[in-house]
Amino acid sequence: MANLLYGITIGSTYALISCGLTIILGVMGVLNFAHGSFVMLGAYTGYTIIKLTGNFWLSFFLSPLVIALLAGIMEKFMVSRLYGKEVLFTLLLTFGMGMVFANAVLLIWGGSPYSIQLPYYFKGFVNLFGLYYPKFRLFVLFFSFLLVTFIWIFLNRSRWGLVIRAGLFDIETVQAFGINIYKVFNVLFLCCAGIAAVAGVIIGAMRSINPVMDADFITVAVIVIVIGGLGSFKGAVIGSLILGLAESFGAQAIPGLAKFTTWAIMAAVLLLRPEGLFPER
Amino acid sequence: MTFEGRTIRKVGLRKIVEVGILLLLVAMPLSTGYLFSDFYIALFLRVFIFGIMMLGFDLLAGYCGLASFGHAMFFGTGAYVTAIVWKYLSDSVWLAIFIGLGLNTVLGYILGLLCVRTRTIYFVFLTFAFSQFFFVTANSWRLIGGTDGIAGIPLPTLLPGISLGHRISFYYFSLGFLAIAYWLARKIVNSHFGRVLRGIRQNEERTKFLGYNTSLEIRKVFLISALFASVAGTLIVGFQPFVPPYYYHWSLSGEFVIMEILGGMGTLVGPLLGAAIVIFMGDILSTWFKEAWMLCLGAIYVICVLYSPEGVIGILNNISVVGILKRLLSRFKRSSYLGKS
Repeated sequence: MANLLYGITIGSTYALISCGLTIILGVMGVLNFAHGSFVMLGAYTGYTIIKLTGNFWLSFFLSPLVIALLAGIMEKFMVSRLYGKEVLFTLLLTFGMGMVFANAVLLIWGGSPYSIQLPYYFKGFVNLFGLYYPKFRLFVLFFSFLLVTFIWIFLNRSRWGLVIRAGLFDIETVQAFGINIYKVFNVLFLCCAGIAAVAGVIIGAMRSINPVMDADFITVAVIVIVIGGLGSFKGAVIGSLILGLAESFGAQAIPGLAKFTTWAIMAAVLLLRPEGLFPER
Repeated sequence: MTFEGRTIRKVGLRKIVEVGILLLLVAMPLSTGYLFSDFYIALFLRVFIFGIMMLGFDLLAGYCGLASFGHAMFFGTGAYVTAIVWKYLSDSVWLAIFIGLGLNTVLGYILGLLCVRTRTIYFVFLTFAFSQFFFVTANSWRLIGGTDGIAGIPLPTLLPGISLGHRISFYYFSLGFLAIAYWLARKIVNSHFGRVLRGIRQNEERTKFLGYNTSLEIRKVFLISALFASVAGTLIVGFQPFVPPYYYHWSLSGEFVIMEILGGMGTLVGPLLGAAIVIFMGDILSTWFKEAWMLCLGAIYVICVLYSPEGVIGILNNISVVGILKRLLSRFKRSSYLGKS
């Protein structure tokens, strides 16, 4: 039971990271290998804001804004130049930016791991029908659920969501309707980076912040997308939950080899459904 | 007629340049102490080893158009197998190469089977995910060193009694492999198979309609590139008798992609140049900028991909000494024809 809850909590943070990556990939056709860096930068920025002001909520909302701004600038001046060109170019661009971010983090904050200080009301445990569960994790669970639901409603019920979903199928037709798709791309990239940064702050408070976490989370997000199906929002969410559960149960079953269960699942999914669980196209 | 003549002349010119560069590289160690220090020999050795890797990578990414973001898994497997063979079995360089090739054949076959179902972005994702599996395994499995990697690897021998331990002898050994690899890659590119690969890159559907089993061809080239990577992995252990789990890391796979694009895709020479540029640049930047060298390298990648996505070969073809010389040569030739008539 504890494992189940823990797995879903972890899975929901993964969902925040990977849904951004999958939307960027599906709509813009951009392989954003800097997405893990946004998670890391969000966590470090959140840490710094807390250290300066001591206010958790300020960092929780300000740090994603900072990262979103950074991502918006990056999209405007770099990524947008490479639309419609070969996949490898955007890959190399985002990879190069990932390197820049990783080294910048190392130069600014050093190599030692940090942890984000939680406010007092998030410390301690909650009694859930005889099960003691950390308060903050419960908050994370609810918050991620709300955010993911919000994104889902936004994508499926709003006008801009319709534009984004249409962009998944045919960009030229969307443009023919008089919509400036590049503006949509910019906002989309910015928002997805912001969501990744929120996940970064959460992870920084739940686990720890270290300068190699970008690689960890981009790997997780990629596996989630491979499992869930390329560009599929539903697939990303469900894939994240599967991965989170696999990790938490795997850690109990074979300690130290928790990561292997994720690859076992990926291989199984690939063998049975090479397109992923919920292929979008 | 003119087309035929032009291609023959081009091939002839290229052959002369190739042999010339080979001779220069052969002669280079003789000048150590005067022009180059031992340090540059080591740098060139790394360029050779990564060059072998890149030749195979170019066949897959440049000619077939399938970019892999996980080729470090074959490179790393070659390196780990070599380390284990030399440390526990025998220090013969041939044994390590053959066992590495054998294991990578199996690996390349299985992964090819899994990855060939996908194309473009999805292919990148799959190869990346698989290579991360290898990295995590190598990083956490204590039996093969875990985070520390494998150290204390003995130096290889060419034949029993003939050591390859000396830097210069290993330089020639690797150069020989590079030359063979280049020759092989050229042969593949110019063969029927090579044309099918280019066909797949340009339009897979049409290639299929012509009656080719494109999935099979892609699996073949995937396997071939894995074998090139395996040899490179073996050689890097001979160069540096220490195998860290970094050899499986995604940043190494990224480095391969960068070498590919920086040099110029689908040209064979381009990726070799790209390997040389990345290695020399990495060395220069790490001495100039100390801790910030990764930042500078990343920034250079970004600038390169934004402003010259055709790579160095593209620049050379457009504005360069070679281009100017070519133009001069053609003018000279025309005037000589005019003179004759």
